[in-house]
Amino acid sequence: MTSAAQSIPDRIQSEVQRAIQRSIKGVEYLGSPAPAVGSTPKDTVLARGTMKLHHYRPQADEVYRVPVLIVMATTNRGYVLDLAPGQSLVEFLLRRGFDVYMLDWTAPSPEEKSLRMEDYVLDFIPGCIRHIQRDCGESDISLIGYCFGGVLSTLYASIFPEGPLKNLVCFTTPVDFREMKLFQNFSDRRYFDVDRLVDSVGNVPPELIFASFEMLRPASRLVGQTQLWENIWNDEYVKSYRMFDRWATDTLPLAGEYFRQTTKDLMWDNRLFNDTMSVGGHPARLGAIKVPILHAVAEHDHIVPYGAARPLIPAVSSTDKEEVILKGGHISVAAGANASKRLWPKLDQWLSERST
Amino acid sequence: MPDKANDPAALWRGFLGDLESGFNSFANKAMESEGFSRAMNQAGGASMAAQKALGEAMEKYLTSMNLPSRTQFIAMGERLQGIENQLAEIKAILHQMGRDGGTAEDRAAGARRPPRTRRPPSHGEPG
Repeated sequence: MTSAAQSIPDRIQSEVQRAIQRSIKGVEYLGSPAPAVGSTPKDTVLARGTMKLHHYRPQADEVYRVPVLIVMATTNRGYVLDLAPGQSLVEFLLRRGFDVYMLDWTAPSPEEKSLRMEDYVLDFIPGCIRHIQRDCGESDISLIGYCFGGVLSTLYASIFPEGPLKNLVCFTTPVDFREMKLFQNFSDRRYFDVDRLVDSVGNVPPELIFASFEMLRPASRLVGQTQLWENIWNDEYVKSYRMFDRWATDTLPLAGEYFRQTTKDLMWDNRLFNDTMSVGGHPARLGAIKVPILHAVAEHDHIVPYGAARPLIPAVSSTDKEEVILKGGHISVAAGANASKRLWPKLDQWLSERST
Repeated sequence: MPDKANDPAALWRGFLGDLESGFNSFANKAMESEGFSRAMNQAGGASMAAQKALGEAMEKYLTSMNLPSRTQFIAMGERLQGIENQLAEIKAILHQMGRDGGTAEDRAAGARRPPRTRRPPSHGEPG
């Protein structure tokens, strides 16, 4: 019986029961540990400072020839794509017969404040790819980049057009940084002294990164907590809330020089969009990308608005290219219940045809 | 029977949703202004400078008290991280050696890797 179809006495009774449940569960909530995340079996096959390469143990009797490397955004942890059994993109891909690796990040140490875009694009990604090639014996590889992981993957693809990249998939990847209007205003070059910030703190603290994301939707945290209280009787809701909340607040610091470069080259000079981007002296032009590419963008993305993501597909030279606009927000498009019905099947269909 | 128009819970959820989107869009408009950017960055710069000065003063105080400072803890953390990295490298090498020709058990583990022969399902096939 739906709530709208209940009689008023039933409704009152149900609300009273929920109120009691809320009080009991509320106390339990305060004392209970956070739900486990990232539990799909994996081996960390390469670790170097902030960089970790995980290999997930195959879950199919037969896998596609081409392995998949997921490149996570440098601001957040990769477990958002592996939240819980049944809510994990990684698990879904494994069951659909893909051999999955993930390039994930931990907090850069103070010594790693000098890491630059060059380290990420010309060292970490190629280093992981070489390791995967040796590990599985295949030369081709597919990259899936999420958010800024998509930017790094795109830069890599544009600098190494001769391979070994076979397919490129980007989720919510910004290209035209002018369109990220609030981030533009937060980092307005007239008032934001990025040199002073990086020179004084080294690595940019996670609190600053978290606050800048939170400011995009200042009321949402409070409303989310109110909704949590309202639904605290519902174990599934609470579990899901806690997993996403844990992930959202588990923001990583950013290496200082990398942040400085990102601010100046991308936020201020919009070099990727203007075709003037270079990494370590290597031109990184989107037009150099010729591999099959899929870009999945979210209709209600408050972090990477559609205007910022839209120019990617028109700018690449690939003949096999596709953009899909999916319902959802920046996170829900890739992780969670709706992603399993929208993005994941699309990804499976697109990638499987190109992974033999 | 209550419908959505007179269901207090539905009304409350609707109100909450409207409040969220209304406040977010109002705040976003305010944050788009030049004045907001200037004020935010001035405040941020001042707090960062204060944090740095406090950190330096605390470091001196801890040194004078013969206590380990944050920097020293971080340095120790880095050394542990270095050891962890080396262990991970050794583990990866051992893993690779096992696959290349270690014990019979290792070779069996390596052989358990599924063949890379999967084909995409034909259209209409469940996969």
